[in-house]
Amino acid sequence: MDLLSQLQRQLADFTASLYREGFVDDQFTQLQKLQDESSPEFVVEVVSLFFEDCEKLVNNMAKALEQQVVDFKQVDSHVHQLKGSSSSIGAARIKNVCIAFKTFCEAQNREGCLRCLQQVNHEHAQLKTNLQTLFTLERQIVANGGSIPAMQ
Amino acid sequence: MSLVLRFQIQLSYGRAIFAPGTSSEQPNSNPHFRGLRVILTDDDDVNRTVTKKLLEKLGCEVTAVSSGFECLSALSSAENSFRLVVLDLQMPEMDGFEVAKRIRKFCSRNWPLIIALTASAEDNIWERCLQMGMNGVIRKPVLLQGMADELRRVLQRAGEGL
Repeated sequence: MDLLSQLQRQLADFTASLYREGFVDDQFTQLQKLQDESSPEFVVEVVSLFFEDCEKLVNNMAKALEQQVVDFKQVDSHVHQLKGSSSSIGAARIKNVCIAFKTFCEAQNREGCLRCLQQVNHEHAQLKTNLQTLFTLERQIVANGGSIPAMQ
Repeated sequence: MSLVLRFQIQLSYGRAIFAPGTSSEQPNSNPHFRGLRVILTDDDDVNRTVTKKLLEKLGCEVTAVSSGFECLSALSSAENSFRLVVLDLQMPEMDGFEVAKRIRKFCSRNWPLIIALTASAEDNIWERCLQMGMNGVIRKPVLLQGMADELRRVLQRAGEGL
């Protein structure tokens, strides 16, 4: 198997595992379909934007949860925003943590919220690493004369 | 899901422009969306970027803003050249309902057309949107097919039918 075929195989397997393990869902597939010649870096750009926003929101949540008297409405509104953006790019695990996070906000459960915040951080880091691997493989494929395989 | 089903009943099954599985391969295939001037209002950066691209993929000419104020300002200075407003319902400062209310104060029910974006699963969201003078509702996260279907339905209803 030549290098290009090997890389393409690697990408296909890796991508399949991301879906299988629930890191990404159909919305991510759609995101990839939106990329075209007029915006060849679309997915990378949107994903970067998402990670930036995620960091900001997490910092805001952390600050709010540190307060003597926690404003759970505020925490909830940050979680709601994160849930929305993670959902729209297909970051399934992060979105699911947000769903649980919201119920802890509604129950005004500080411990529960802090646990969810930790989980968000964890999932954020994992997804970042995974997508970086994905993008690197894609770039290597293109550099070796291939084109990114179409999603099913 | 019930929201989607309700709309399906009202669709006229004319030519199937977006046959299942083909919509993503022919992004600008629908002539009725090509050049459609849209103003997209969403305060979330990520959502706004994704929805804008989605609308552009369907052939629309999109101006994206991040607040109700910017939306109203753009509408009032563009001499009514925007055909459609796509509006996130949940925004800080001024929510989508308020924006729609103010638009309808000065503009007729069919120009511009207003489609709401919402993550809400409330049953009465459609009624509330109608009351505010909106023409359509799309559930988030937004899908290409969902957007295309709702755009077509709303345009048809407004008499610019297929």
